[in-house]
Amino acid sequence: MLKKTSKILTLAIALAGSGAALAADQVTFQLDWLPGGDKAPVYVGVQQGFFADEDLEVSISSSRGSTDALTKIATGQAEMGSADIGALMAARAQDTLPVSAVYMIFNQAPHAFFTLDSSDIKTITDIAGKKVATSPFTSSNAFMPLVLRANDMPGDAVTLTKSDPGALGPMLMTGNTDAIIAWVTNTALFQAQAASAGKNIRVLPWSDAGLELYSSAVVASDKFLSERPDVAKRFMKAYVKSLHFTNDNPEKAAADLQEMVPDVDPAVAAAQIRDTMTLVFNELSETDGLGVMTPERVAQTWTYVAEANELAESSLDPETVVNRTFIPE
Amino acid sequence: MSQKLPDGSLRNALLTCAPWIFFIALLLAWEALCRIAELPTYVLPAPSVIVDAFFEVEMSRWLDHLWATLRVALMGFGLSIVISIPLAIFMMRSELLSRTLYPVLVVIQSTPVVAIAPLIIVMMGSGDSSRVLITCLLTFFPLVVSTATGINETPAELIELSRSLDAPTRRETWQIRIPYAIPHIFSGLKVAITLAIIGAVVAEFVAAEKGLGYFIQFSTSFFKIPQAFAGLFFLAAVSLLLFKCVQWTQQIFFAWSLPRKKS
Repeated sequence: MLKKTSKILTLAIALAGSGAALAADQVTFQLDWLPGGDKAPVYVGVQQGFFADEDLEVSISSSRGSTDALTKIATGQAEMGSADIGALMAARAQDTLPVSAVYMIFNQAPHAFFTLDSSDIKTITDIAGKKVATSPFTSSNAFMPLVLRANDMPGDAVTLTKSDPGALGPMLMTGNTDAIIAWVTNTALFQAQAASAGKNIRVLPWSDAGLELYSSAVVASDKFLSERPDVAKRFMKAYVKSLHFTNDNPEKAAADLQEMVPDVDPAVAAAQIRDTMTLVFNELSETDGLGVMTPERVAQTWTYVAEANELAESSLDPETVVNRTFIPE
Repeated sequence: MSQKLPDGSLRNALLTCAPWIFFIALLLAWEALCRIAELPTYVLPAPSVIVDAFFEVEMSRWLDHLWATLRVALMGFGLSIVISIPLAIFMMRSELLSRTLYPVLVVIQSTPVVAIAPLIIVMMGSGDSSRVLITCLLTFFPLVVSTATGINETPAELIELSRSLDAPTRRETWQIRIPYAIPHIFSGLKVAITLAIIGAVVAEFVAAEKGLGYFIQFSTSFFKIPQAFAGLFFLAAVSLLLFKCVQWTQQIFFAWSLPRKKS
């Protein structure tokens, strides 16, 4: 009887095993915001078949900010995703969040001041005493005092107003504010808005003003990394291929994105991709390598994040947030 | 003070046309304001620009988003009917239950759904079920209150009569209390159906890949303000249609429960 049962069990296990070998591994990728040109690479991976080549079936879901994405990955709603490494560090310093950063997407800070080119704000230091509008929940707000201080201004040197992200552009164009805080990934969108009002914009990136830190990273659930490391490795291999493809073919990448998200305007998405790729492929990626997270810059990022979030620097060893074993060679 | 309307067919025509005339006048005034003041579309798009934006989006995409919102709104609405009406009946039968549950219901109602929606998504995942629950949370309270009020307002003499004739509680509920509660239940349903759309949109703002609420948020994130307005108007039209559906249901199946028209 026992022998018979064990035979049936063995057969069942063998069948289940063969089934698993036939089906592609499923991975849910959690974006940290709504789909757009800045999130194109993962869509490219699906459309160009890079994930399928690695025997992966990737589904993509959107969320409403890095914290939202991290929570969803931590609670098992997704295995991998993109999120700001700063948000991950701040979360890990305060709680045990089973999520790690495995690959750096933006090796530069995306935050910037946007102003009209007719404005007298020509460099970061000109911002002192000006009216600046920002959205209430952006991570940029926490970094702003640091940028001001890095440029010998007090942390409260500007008059800050908070407004819905969709209202920032109109506020700038109508002169309700002297400058706004936004991400450089949206430069083309703001420029288009300014052009419709017969104006031009000027962008003052904080990365040029002393804010040297890592930003958006590929993150993954620790459980997934320990249980299915092979899947994570194959995912990253395909993802890096997608990054290169997106950088080399912004139009095709935008078309791939639109194929999966019909609401996206491919021309706008292509412009967003060009803006975004400067945060991925740049001098730093040339010297350090693509996706690489150097211990020095990780530590530097944590110093900024701790200061911005008023956390003790000793509350986290930033190296514990990073897992470098999944960066493709 | 009420204004006298002319009698007969002219009166009927005026009553039918008045909302439309007012609506069209409002649109014309809006269009004129945008043109005269030369307002840029990102500040306030003119109705004509919104109409253009509406037709720029393929109908299949509109229907896709509409179905996502409608599905959640109707499931949430249905769930809240299934929960609220029996709950109100039980609460009215038992004072203990009523005293125990009412405070809880008030607490649930006064908790901002926007604040707990992200928690619901984390606990239940970002599928339809969490969005249906969010919609249900927003819609069930007016239904419980209106049903309970209706059941409570049954004339005491009818209840006494039914009890003197030894009618079982079940018959008392189904044949006396519920029919008396029908007009109140429909008042609650009319409030609830509009809240169902709001609930579905709130849920889509927190987590969704499709739906009219998601579409509005998505359009705003790309600064497509006219397109966001088009989504908003579409949403309002759907809400109006659903409200009408509840009204028609009452007119067709419960015509006796409608107030008699003054002659």
